[in-house]
Amino acid sequence: MKKRVLSIVALGVTASLGLAGCAAGGGEGDGGTDGEGQTLNVWIMKGTNPDATAFYDEVSAAFEEETGAKVEIEEVQWADAHDRFVTAIAGGTTPDVAETGTTWTAEFADAGALLPIDEYVDGEDGLRDDLVEGLEVAGTYDEELYGMPWYAGVRALVYRTDIFEELGLEAPKTWDDIVTAGEAIKKAHPEMMAFPVPGDAEFQVYPWVWGAGGEIATLDGDTWTSELDSAEAQEGIQFYTDLATEHGFSSAGATTWKETDLSDNFAQGNVAMMLSGSWTPASLVEAGPDLEGKIGAAVIPGKDGGIAPSVLGGSHLSIFNTTKNADLAWEFTKMMTTGEFAEKWASQTGYFPGVASAMEEALASTDPLVAPFAQQMVDGGASVPVTPNFGAVQAKKTTNAMMQSILSGQKDVATATKDAAAEMTELLNQ
Amino acid sequence: MSTVHAPLPTPTEAGNNTPASVAGGRRSNRFTLLAKSRPWLLLAPGLIILAGLMLWPLVQVFIYSLQDYGLREINTGENNWIGFGNYIEALTDETLWTIVLPNTVGFAAVAVFTTVAVGTLVALLLQRLGKTWRLIVSSCIMIAWAMPAVTGTYVWTFIFDADRGIFNDMLLGLGIIDGPVNWFTNQWSFYAIVLLNVVHHGFPFVAITVLAGLLGVSKEMLEAAAMDGAGAWRRFWQIVFPTLRPVFSVVIILSTIWDFKVFAQVYLMPGGSGSNRSVLNLGVWSYVESFGQNRYGFGAALAVLLTLVLIGITIVYIRSLMKEDEL
Repeated sequence: MKKRVLSIVALGVTASLGLAGCAAGGGEGDGGTDGEGQTLNVWIMKGTNPDATAFYDEVSAAFEEETGAKVEIEEVQWADAHDRFVTAIAGGTTPDVAETGTTWTAEFADAGALLPIDEYVDGEDGLRDDLVEGLEVAGTYDEELYGMPWYAGVRALVYRTDIFEELGLEAPKTWDDIVTAGEAIKKAHPEMMAFPVPGDAEFQVYPWVWGAGGEIATLDGDTWTSELDSAEAQEGIQFYTDLATEHGFSSAGATTWKETDLSDNFAQGNVAMMLSGSWTPASLVEAGPDLEGKIGAAVIPGKDGGIAPSVLGGSHLSIFNTTKNADLAWEFTKMMTTGEFAEKWASQTGYFPGVASAMEEALASTDPLVAPFAQQMVDGGASVPVTPNFGAVQAKKTTNAMMQSILSGQKDVATATKDAAAEMTELLNQ
Repeated sequence: MSTVHAPLPTPTEAGNNTPASVAGGRRSNRFTLLAKSRPWLLLAPGLIILAGLMLWPLVQVFIYSLQDYGLREINTGENNWIGFGNYIEALTDETLWTIVLPNTVGFAAVAVFTTVAVGTLVALLLQRLGKTWRLIVSSCIMIAWAMPAVTGTYVWTFIFDADRGIFNDMLLGLGIIDGPVNWFTNQWSFYAIVLLNVVHHGFPFVAITVLAGLLGVSKEMLEAAAMDGAGAWRRFWQIVFPTLRPVFSVVIILSTIWDFKVFAQVYLMPGGSGSNRSVLNLGVWSYVESFGQNRYGFGAALAVLLTLVLIGITIVYIRSLMKEDEL
């Protein structure tokens, strides 16, 4: 209680100081927000950075040195983060700054829980043009930016180099290559799944839709239309599900697999090719030490070559409307998402930073487990439809239900895609 | 009966009009009023707490159910009335009638019957055992009871896993199936596994409760019936079952409520969280349709409907049991 009173007093003081500073100093370079005696509450997802505590200590110290404000970072589990945000929004106890998953930002912005940050971003020299586009798009709602791009990852093709070398195969560059490689692997290693098709993992599906030239959904005026039943999307989904139903590269169990089941099986050595995130190679080796040095990555091939886009998954830092000092919250957001700390976070976590200037290192990398992902991210990073309603599509598992009904033989591709498109269109416009 | 302890106010009026009263009319009126309100006064603290903790949330749920209540309303605290729109939407949803309700009701019926039957058989077994074995067996079934639903579900999922599950291995080894079968994609095999899981988790409660009742059944009556030539089957239905009727009514009602609300055991199974539409039940469907999509008003309406259905079932049960008692 005492603390709260103090901080309100302090807030009044800083507010007037800030005003005074403004009146006197005008255009001082780094904003010079004074947060003396204030505390910022920050929520960050647990598990992204294996050595998070050291990072937090460092960034808190730097922030206190610059602004005088303390930072209290609380780690939140991904699994219950959404519920915690909703509860906090209901109770008005949201943090000042929080990491929000890219698909949540529009949802919370739509609820009116976030502050738009366009003014701040445009206030920094060249920052707007530096934002990674896929993340900026995902953080924009109603033409205002609510989520500051922080980090992102992307899925690309991950394969077993030892198997490919043994059979004299190259990383596939077209869809036909995938089938050729798959047949060779199936023949030589019948105990392995050449390219399993998990039925309960929607982000594994979209690259094939895009790779064939299709779209998930398009916006015309105010109306969304799902394009999953377009000829191109159907071709992509047909090819992808054929890997299981036609070519037998998958398994009966994979019909109900989630993405985690896919990585578990890869780590156990049962899988030769799969789509996997740029953040996963290290944990795959950790789970399956035998795979050390046997994992390769490549961009996801388009139908006749090139790159099939894949979903750019990542996080924003968002400022909640309950913050007492938005300027201070932005100072912290800026410190985390640009420059030194953005690069450090990226290199420690295996993700890519949300600003292009911090990505140069990754792009220049020759590491075979970094370069293909970086290329996939820059040339083939895409976003799912940016609307708060896409959360409803994910909750209802429209795409997953479509996949599972095809893989289990309950529906053919034409019927399944048509049903899924109808459902998605309805959900997106509700 | 407790009037003696009433703190009697001193009579202030001399007038005494009621012939029945001995000590004074006003006093007597006040007396009965106090006597009548006393139980309520004594119950008041409990009732107030219950009203605050249970009644008010129930009222709130009903209020939400009349609104299109989403994240935006939660944030602003505004109301967004739509009358009975949520109820109409829920009751006109085709999925509810073609998939969700048949799955829920059918499953609950089979699961309640199986749970109670297995539980009763185990209780009869326990009754026949000596002290040591009864302790051992009841400890074992307690473990099944104590296992969290989530853990149990994962174990059953491992057992029936398509690629490496012990069940498929066994069938393959016996030559019954030619290749791995994914048991989670078919509605019937999916619910058979859920049934195993739910019965395995639910029968210990029935067994222990019925055992407690069995120990109270008069041994003399059973002996007399046996002397008269009644077999075990007949003794059970004509002596044990009627004596245990109240116990059975409790376990049946509780099992019905639990099996109607099954959620984790379905949601956590492969395909159970919505990607396999043919296995949706009321719990999962309402979660996916409401909370998954931030439609809290719709979820509240579904909760109200479920409550009404369960109250209805309970009333029917209790009435039929009481009627039979009277006969």
